[in-house]
Amino acid sequence: MSGNDGDNGRRRVVITGTGALSALGRTTQDLWNGLIANRPGIRTVDRLVASGITVTTGGEVDAVPHDQIDRDHEIANRAIDDALASAKRAAANCGFIWSTGLDTFQANSHGFVHRSAGRCFSALAARFLEPKRMIAAACASGTQAVGEAFRLIRSGRIDACVAGGSSVMLTPFYLIGFAGLQAVATDNDANGDHPSRVCRPFDRRRKGFALADGAGALVMETLDSARTRGTSPLAEVIGFGMSQDAFDLNRPSEDGAGAELCMRRALADARLAPHDIDAVNAHATATYLGDLAEAAALRRLFGGDWKRVPVSGVKGAIGHAMAAAGALEAIVAAHTCQTGIVPPTVNLSEPDEGCELDHVIAEPRDANAERVLSVSFGMGGQNAALILQRVSA
Amino acid sequence: MVYLIASAERRDLGAIQRSSPETWRRVRRYNLPIQLALAAAEEVMTASSDPKCTAVISLAPCQPGSADLYRWGHVVTSGMASGTLGDLRMNPTQTLHAVDNLAMSAFAIAYGNQAECLGLGGAAGQAWCGLEAVLEKLDAADRDDSSGTEEVILMAGDQDTTDESTAGIGVALLLSKHARAFVPLGRVVRLVRIERRAQPNPTNVHPHAAAGLCEFIATIKKQNDGLLSYDVPTEQTDGSSSVNVVVEVMS
Repeated sequence: MSGNDGDNGRRRVVITGTGALSALGRTTQDLWNGLIANRPGIRTVDRLVASGITVTTGGEVDAVPHDQIDRDHEIANRAIDDALASAKRAAANCGFIWSTGLDTFQANSHGFVHRSAGRCFSALAARFLEPKRMIAAACASGTQAVGEAFRLIRSGRIDACVAGGSSVMLTPFYLIGFAGLQAVATDNDANGDHPSRVCRPFDRRRKGFALADGAGALVMETLDSARTRGTSPLAEVIGFGMSQDAFDLNRPSEDGAGAELCMRRALADARLAPHDIDAVNAHATATYLGDLAEAAALRRLFGGDWKRVPVSGVKGAIGHAMAAAGALEAIVAAHTCQTGIVPPTVNLSEPDEGCELDHVIAEPRDANAERVLSVSFGMGGQNAALILQRVSA
Repeated sequence: MVYLIASAERRDLGAIQRSSPETWRRVRRYNLPIQLALAAAEEVMTASSDPKCTAVISLAPCQPGSADLYRWGHVVTSGMASGTLGDLRMNPTQTLHAVDNLAMSAFAIAYGNQAECLGLGGAAGQAWCGLEAVLEKLDAADRDDSSGTEEVILMAGDQDTTDESTAGIGVALLLSKHARAFVPLGRVVRLVRIERRAQPNPTNVHPHAAAGLCEFIATIKKQNDGLLSYDVPTEQTDGSSSVNVVVEVMS
């Protein structure tokens, strides 16, 4: 184990490699470039049109054919391999904290295909060291995976870890289910708009999210280890918090109290105050109640300071990749820490009443942001928050 | 120090309906694994010193659905190619399964619990990761943790298959950093450590979130004073490492 490299005996934890498969492309750079260009990756998906359901748009990942029988495994593995390669690390020296989300239900040339999320995790985990933890916390899973890895490394339990999540849910099975919950925007909700504009976080015309496939992987290790290896970290993870709403299975409390609690826990964990945060990577699903609750929670967290903190979300561009969402968003937050640039919230043009925040609209903002709060608020009221910061010299 | 305070195991939904109508009313909307996990949790929480502040570690089932859900999955996927899905609507009960760790959310709502939590997924051997996480959380509370965690509940529910007539098990363990007698044994049980050793040859496993913890607790209940070195049966691990749990029973 490496020695302490932080204050108060805490080990400092950094991100040294990332991999991302999303509707914006097959690499982390594709994701970041697309966001900075304010480009939506959501589009009409032919196989959904053919099935005759009322939701035909989503965040499709092109890197792996949609009828490939082990698509769940392959999407995850590609992101993991990219992250390991960019960190110049081997799986055999890393723990593995990952979420594979829900079981996969597909129909292809083999007929009905049901793939267990648990078995997918076990197959992915085989080449890693202990601990191997499968995270299941609904839409907060990816963030919780990164947070759990952070705690395990900081405490000295492990030196390095691959963390993140993957999801293959852009199928009629899940689209019909989420449509029943009025959580996804249907074709009727587009109101003649281009399909790529169907998901509008915080906007007055928002009608729900676009479901997406994806994977986000982060290699995390101690700062000491990264420096010894001569690797330049992308960002440092400095705080993590979890909470539950304890309110309702299908909707958040309107005041966002559970969301606020996990953000305050992350701040306490990082030994920071709200005014230390330079930008927020929001959950921003574009659901009516979810966005209202999140905006209320952020305004209360920052108090009179809320107009100073730029807020941005990625789901307007890539859709909601569920178990992968928080990991993909942590990768974006890390890029913001590194560059200081906050990407715009794609498809947001007119913030709704009740969603007032310092939104980044239409073009990126060079905010010289060094510390970013990245949050996920899952169905069932499972919440998670991370704080990342630029790595000091 | 980490102590086992209480445990409960539930296998019979009929018994819950007959003997605890209030519990049944609270859990009836869920599927079998969640019903059994919540019923077991309800029993151990009677021993909790502060149910609202007990940290929660919840294991999602390895067989997460229901017979109805999987039948519905067949209907949807077979209708995809023919374009006949139209305005098909999912039963709202099934949509609850979009929450992969439903027991964790349902528990939080039932107890108004907003404490620290960890949701683990339905892969083979995750129960022992849950037990390791209990040790980490309660040890961290002694060292470098702002959460003030004093107690942790570890809960799980699972079923053998997703067939109509399947059997299920729910289990819950309450653990604390303060020594108290383990309720069914009347003696103090300290969780000392969990050790893993890599298996050179991966073994076959039987993924089940709850079965392994039940066997572990049954062994503790038969233990005399002294150290117990419990080797987790291979089929209840993740297949890539052996797991040994050491507990100490004290009068």
